[in-house]
Amino acid sequence: MRSPSHSVLPARGLRTVLVMALTAAFAAAVPAAQADTPAPIAAKPYMGWSSWSMQSSKYPGLNDKGDYSYLTEANVLKQTDAMASKLKKYGYDYVNIDAGWWMDWNWKEGYDQYGRQKADPARFPSGMKAVADRIHAKGLKAGIYLPAGLEKGAYGDGKTPIWNADGCTTADIVYGDLRTTNGWDSAYKIDFDKPCAQKYIDSQARMLADWGYDFLKLDGVGPGSGKSGDQYDNVADVAAWHKAIAATGRPIHLEASWSLDYGHAADWQKYTNGWRIDTDVECYCNTLVTWENSVNDRWDDTPAWTGKAGPGGWNDLDSLDVGNGAMDGLTKAERQSYATLWAVAKSPLFTGDDITKLDDYGVSLLTNREVIGIDQSANPPARPITPSDPQQVWAAKNADGTYTVALFNLADSPSAVTADWTALGFSGKASVRDLWNHESLGSFQNKITEALPAHGSRLFTVTPKGAALASTGYEAEASGNTLSGNASVAGCDACSGQKKVGNLYQGGKLTINNVTVDKAGTYLVKVAYISGDSRSATISANSGAGTSHKFPSTGDWGTVSTVSVPVTLKAGANTITFDSGSGYAPDVDRIDVPKSPR
Amino acid sequence: MQNNQPSRRSFLALAAATGALAGLPSFTASAAPLRSSEPLSTPRHQLWWQAPAGDGSMIEQGLPVGNGRLGALASNDSGRELLLITDATLWTGGLNDTLDSDGQFPYGRADFGSLTLLARLTVEIPDHDLGAVSGYRRTLDLDNGVVTASYVRSGVTYRRQIFASRPDDVIVLHFGQDGGGRYTGSITFEGTHGETGGTAESFAGSFANGLKYGAAVKAYGSGGSVRVSGSRITFTDCRELTVVLSGGTDYAPDAAAHYRNPSLDPLALARTKVKAAARNSADTLLRTHAADHRALFGQFDLSLGTSTADQRGLDTWARIQARADTGDPDPELEAAYAQFGRYLMIAGSRDSLPMGLQGIWLDGNDPDWMGDYHTDINIQMNYWMADRLGLSQCFDAFTDYCVDQLPSWTDTTQRLFQDPRNRYRNSRGKVAGWTVGISTNPFGGGGWWWHPAGNAWLCQSLWEHYEFTRSRAHLEKIYPLLKGACEFWEARLLTTTLDNGKEVLIADSDWSPEQGPLDAKGITYAQEQVWILFGNFRTAAAELKRDAGYAATIGGLRERLYLPVVSPKTGWLEEWMSPDNLGETTHRHLSPLFNLFPGDRIRPDGSTPADIVKGATALLTARGMDSFGWANAWRSLCWSRLKDADKAYQLVVRNLRPSSNGSNGTSPNLFDIYEVEQGRGIFQIEANFGTPTAILEMLLYSRPGHLELLPALPDAWAASGSVTGAGARGGFVVDLRWHDGKPTEARIRSVGGRTTTVVYGGKARTVTLKPGQSVTLKDFAR
Repeated sequence: MRSPSHSVLPARGLRTVLVMALTAAFAAAVPAAQADTPAPIAAKPYMGWSSWSMQSSKYPGLNDKGDYSYLTEANVLKQTDAMASKLKKYGYDYVNIDAGWWMDWNWKEGYDQYGRQKADPARFPSGMKAVADRIHAKGLKAGIYLPAGLEKGAYGDGKTPIWNADGCTTADIVYGDLRTTNGWDSAYKIDFDKPCAQKYIDSQARMLADWGYDFLKLDGVGPGSGKSGDQYDNVADVAAWHKAIAATGRPIHLEASWSLDYGHAADWQKYTNGWRIDTDVECYCNTLVTWENSVNDRWDDTPAWTGKAGPGGWNDLDSLDVGNGAMDGLTKAERQSYATLWAVAKSPLFTGDDITKLDDYGVSLLTNREVIGIDQSANPPARPITPSDPQQVWAAKNADGTYTVALFNLADSPSAVTADWTALGFSGKASVRDLWNHESLGSFQNKITEALPAHGSRLFTVTPKGAALASTGYEAEASGNTLSGNASVAGCDACSGQKKVGNLYQGGKLTINNVTVDKAGTYLVKVAYISGDSRSATISANSGAGTSHKFPSTGDWGTVSTVSVPVTLKAGANTITFDSGSGYAPDVDRIDVPKSPR
Repeated sequence: MQNNQPSRRSFLALAAATGALAGLPSFTASAAPLRSSEPLSTPRHQLWWQAPAGDGSMIEQGLPVGNGRLGALASNDSGRELLLITDATLWTGGLNDTLDSDGQFPYGRADFGSLTLLARLTVEIPDHDLGAVSGYRRTLDLDNGVVTASYVRSGVTYRRQIFASRPDDVIVLHFGQDGGGRYTGSITFEGTHGETGGTAESFAGSFANGLKYGAAVKAYGSGGSVRVSGSRITFTDCRELTVVLSGGTDYAPDAAAHYRNPSLDPLALARTKVKAAARNSADTLLRTHAADHRALFGQFDLSLGTSTADQRGLDTWARIQARADTGDPDPELEAAYAQFGRYLMIAGSRDSLPMGLQGIWLDGNDPDWMGDYHTDINIQMNYWMADRLGLSQCFDAFTDYCVDQLPSWTDTTQRLFQDPRNRYRNSRGKVAGWTVGISTNPFGGGGWWWHPAGNAWLCQSLWEHYEFTRSRAHLEKIYPLLKGACEFWEARLLTTTLDNGKEVLIADSDWSPEQGPLDAKGITYAQEQVWILFGNFRTAAAELKRDAGYAATIGGLRERLYLPVVSPKTGWLEEWMSPDNLGETTHRHLSPLFNLFPGDRIRPDGSTPADIVKGATALLTARGMDSFGWANAWRSLCWSRLKDADKAYQLVVRNLRPSSNGSNGTSPNLFDIYEVEQGRGIFQIEANFGTPTAILEMLLYSRPGHLELLPALPDAWAASGSVTGAGARGGFVVDLRWHDGKPTEARIRSVGGRTTTVVYGGKARTVTLKPGQSVTLKDFAR
């Protein structure tokens, strides 16, 4: 079976934004199709619908003509109509056709005489342009899908001519040894050192632009998509697409997929408008998704990417399948948490549900304007600030001085979850608005605690009334600290003081001495750390047994991130110990102890 | 013991006077409840949480209520209250008297049987979905015996109370609010065994063993409407809502009637009870219940010192976690943990069957080890607490159980024990008296393997209750059990000659629970148990002036009993008659230390040969400090007896560690969790009673004629504290205050005891009292 693919949204970094602005200006100058000045691409996370979740499911009645057969012109247009009538007014505007539009019911590919994907006549009897036109007629945008590389079926003994490229055939764009590429090895890797190579991408881009598509998901892209190494490095493919799209003059959002390599984040930012940070959210089971299969992975996998998202390019968490509980395969609490994470992470919000069959609760989740507002605002994405337990708090400081605060209970049983204002950086009172329930909850001193069901969440806007909180910093590498086991001081460009304490593994311990507070109590100690993968450390004060805390990956060993952990201190001098125990702990840069306890 | 509450005994007297005693079933028409108009007391012991339980976490997070027979775990979810309801008598299985091919008992849910759930109640309030409410909080008020949950929805504070009333024999849920709010939703009440033919308000069924059961519910509100709609009861726009439920079985604790009361219709009785209760307001029901509960709860109090403001500010679960995280003592939490054990005892052990592995709190129909009575430690530990922590009345269920089972146990033992396939049969060829299986059920049946010394341990517990209470009625009740157990051992003991030429009596082939060789003769566990049994029987016969000749015979046998020695190889008191360690060094059971605790033969006061004390200490040390639940509690008790306060306290603290993902320790609702396999924790209630017992034994050690104050007071509690209403063997109740690690005042009250020494710091005073009299002692400081 062909494994699922998903699109990545191209994110562009700051430089890209400039490029985009220019592109938009040129686009505006093209008189024919573009009367209005289009908004820059991916200025905000895009919103819409994708066909893949229903294609990938065994849910009864969806794929009666075989695997992935949900993808048809009729179904796409049915969803288009439903989106236009139910969701468009909330900002959903992309209708994205996913994998298989050129496949017959047996998943056999079809290509045109130039080796480009050709609409399957049974699926799309009117052709792809007609579908895009129908989508546009509803005031919506049309999205389409391609895999990276030259599909083997398009190769045609190497003699297939490339459109609008004199003398170029498919043999002229791939490596001589026909090395394969992409997440499924379904394509021959394109050798972009060959002059014909870009022409092929140009020909595909031209075709999509001519059809009127506004969005392309390029799938199976590596490094990522479960692959690594030169053979699967598709950065050149993505760059070629970026260039080819620009050349068409049509603004087309380029999304890259799936599980893209964090180490190449700068490339995804440069060439795309979004990137799938994780594997498919779908379960390939009797529902669209399940919590355990892959929805819950996102809480672990998103934090490292937080800093990479911004206007022009966003962290794509994949489809938001929360619209119909029975079809989604999730509890109400899970659906709300799913939507909450997507919103605070500023992921694109595209549902994979059957929009014609949203249940009431699904509608309330997909159309909550306050929550959509979090996703679409100019504020930064939230990060986990107290992520160590299954009870997590994610937060972002907004431009207006408020905070977006999400509480999550990822445990399998209900739990109280507390957001401490000191972990946000202030103390005293704050007013809290409950965004899901459209209710102002009043003023809260120092913290808010709510009861959350298993896998549940709450989403608040917190407006501080109190003062910013001072804290005292302690460098891990300070000479008065105690290192034991393998622990050692190492250089670290990103760290304060350009040093950190590392090698905290298998018994390695760091004890920060003389941590002094005026008042006994539990403090939310902010830990600046570096960890290329998710790691745990047991943190204790003085002679306590301590608690094991999980630190999310910072993505690599050069990036510092912070989380807050509760540590109970006595008045006067204390020690705070990071113990790797029998495992591996993150490297520690420094800690900051707030002046006030929680 | 001295209060206005009708005790079990006075209730029985009442029943006898009205001619209703014979074959008194467990589920029975009750006398008109004694109504109380007293408001609830301000709770001094309140546990609280900031999250409800989920369907999958009822054992860890559900809050227990019970009236001694009917028990329930409540989820307290704002939008969907769930109660899992148990009746202590709702057991499958039966007499189980067809042995397996190895001569042992079958141990399945059909033959031996299992405690099961009676009913599930859900009250759905869709508008109050947990995701839509704020400020959620729930409490367990230990003083009044009430679970409360409250939350805010659209500015209205809603509050529900749940309790199980013994006087009305119902479980009550009351949903109220502070004005302007409404309840709309539905109630479902259903059995858990595929019953058919029920209605929204009742159901009935029967098991393959013939046991009949039934249950009924009634809901009533103010404002709005409450009506039956198909299989549900719906309520619409109610300002308040009260739900009353009851249920039970036709179980009767009568072997002659095969443990049934054929004239009892459980469904009809359940309906009658809910109808009668529903004639009262929820407040009346609550006050009646709370008065009944307080009468027992108030018999004892405990202060272990003062916690910090920070500790007090944490909810109970956060506090459990902080206790472990910081390592800082939290004396009020530790005292509350003990009081929670007392709450469970009042809720779980009144007039019906006693509590086994899980008491009356289940989350399914397949509790591990059937939720049965384990006789090689479980039921005994459950009841170590009752007398010590001021709940002597709750012990009666245990006594009655043994008395009511005795005819079956005797019959089964005499018919089956000598089965030639039974490796434990008496090699002398004769059997007499009675014994039990390692597991027992309420139908006279044993389960798993034969447990020869089980009779002696049950008798030891029953005898201790006599020592605490000096109740002659109790002594008369248990005398046949003691005598029958003696007869069993008289037929079983073997004569052997030691290397030194001394002829001794030893127990026939047996298994030291639950490890080592399956067939060892003279195991320490049995030797110590029989030594205690014989001694207690001799005293019982003397006090009752019966069987003087037989008592002399038993006394003679006792003198000849082999008692364990210290292994020259390991330095440990031997568990088997072997210098070798034949089992697991850190095994959970402390069977060979039986006479360190609960027995008293091994004492570190010079009266026991020093090598024995040393060997016992070495064995206890080897068993380690890192076990779980009941095994830690037992270890703590042994260390208290050895006056090692630090170790005794460490083991208590160990049980207070938070359980996560099934690990050993305390769950959010304070149930003790045992990690039966990686990631799967199960509830085992005895640590919830054994740990409070361990807490008490650090403060007070007693045996007849000897009372020792603060024998193992840990530093964590030394600053100041007090205990009132602590039972002491010999027939006394003690109130004790201490400061700076020393007693400041001790009030000794006789509940039947005459004379005792009171010891502190090596100094002894003699107190002589008449029953009912008390004396207050001071000036311990020097």
